[in-house]
Parts: sequence; structure tokens; C-alpha cells
Amino acid sequence: MNDKLKEDFPIEWEDDHFVTRREFFKFLTLASGGVAVGTAALAAYAQIPREEIKFEAAKICSTEDLKPGSALAFSFPRPGDLCILVRKQDGEFVAFKRRCTHLSCPVEYEVKNERELLYCPCHNGAFSLDDGSVVQGPPPHPLPQVKIEVRGSEIWATGAIKGDH
Amino acid sequence: MNTPQFLRRRQKAVVFVGFLLFALILFLIQLWLFVMVLENILAGKTGMVIQASAFSFLLLGINIWMLAGVKRLMKMQ
Repeated sequence: MNDKLKEDFPIEWEDDHFVTRREFFKFLTLASGGVAVGTAALAAYAQIPREEIKFEAAKICSTEDLKPGSALAFSFPRPGDLCILVRKQDGEFVAFKRRCTHLSCPVEYEVKNERELLYCPCHNGAFSLDDGSVVQGPPPHPLPQVKIEVRGSEIWATGAIKGDH
Repeated sequence: MNTPQFLRRRQKAVVFVGFLLFALILFLIQLWLFVMVLENILAGKTGMVIQASAFSFLLLGINIWMLAGVKRLMKMQ
């Protein structure tokens, strides 16, 4: 009846949009439910394991290109994604993303006090070559590691391993 | 001794507004939790998201309980 009346006489009154306190309370509870469900959805999303991400394998260089105690910059998986391949003094190959987790400056391979590090010259940050963990300075997270494989005499990048944060 | 009708109505109104304000505060805490969870996930920290989510549902439960209480209050003569 009321709707029919409004159709026949479509006159807007301010009272048409009046929201009672009880209606507002209901809306608030509904919104509260929405936020709770949203938070739960985020929590569920965070539980999805994504420690290791695989990309199409790309050749970096041959093992003879790098002497022990030296490094080589390369891009992986896309051309703009800076990475660094290091051949440690003991001959082991490791690779990491090259962007410092503080302000994205490119990190460099350095040996300080007989310790091999990935050093960020912008704010004196440093990362361990063992697992990319922060050794000193302001970086908040470890460097993500690039997964590599030695295939014969060639080194290939095959994926990325998230930092342990 | 019975309380006069107009005083009972005024008391109900005070209780209602109190519940409403409290529900609003709980909702703001829920919003803060949501933003905090989002920030932490983007920063790669996922250690507290389950607890934050559970707490958000607890606040929702309190809000629903208060809404039911308010409905009961309004039905009371």
C-alpha cells in the first residue's frame, strides 16, 4: 500500500531517508561481520605456502666465467629484475635478488674481515651469503634467494626462494 | 514501587546509546585489526594473522550479543 502510494505520488520527503538508531546498530553489526570475514579471508590467504616460486629456467653463465670470490650481475626472471650470482671463496655458487630490502639499492659482493657479504652501500646494510639474512644495517627483511642449478658447465636460474620472514 | 513510564524510556535510551557507542568502538578496533593484518601480510609477517582474525570474530560475537540485547530491551514493557 505504502509503495503504491509512493509510486502514484513520487514526492521525496526528508523522512524517507531517516535512519533510526536501531537500523544503524543493525548496519554496524553487519559491517562488523563483513570486516571479520575479510580478516579471516586475509588470514587464510596468508596460510597458502609460497616459499618457492618457479620460473622458466634461464642460463646465467658458464662456471668458468666466475672465479672463486667474484660476482656477476644478471636479470631474472624479467629483464628489469636485478639479481647477483656469487661464487664464494670455497667455490660454491649462490644467487640472490640484488635489490636491498631497505630502499632497493643494488647490493654488492664484498669481503669484510674475512667474511663474505652482500653489502648495500646506501645505508651500510649487509646480508649473509649463506641464506640472505640481515647481518647489519637497516634492511627489515632478508634478501630473497634465487634458486640455481649447475647443469654440466653451465649455471641456470630456475626459481626464487622467499626470504625467511 | 514501579518506575514511571517516561523514566523507563529514558533509561532504555541511555542503555541503547551506551551499547551503540561501544559497538562503534569495537567496529573501529576490527577495522584496525584488518588494516594491521593486511600490512603484516604485505610485509611478509604472517605469525599473528590467525590470532587477529579470531579476535575480530570475538568482537563480532560481542556486537551480535549486544544487538540481541538491545532487541530484548526494546521489547520489554
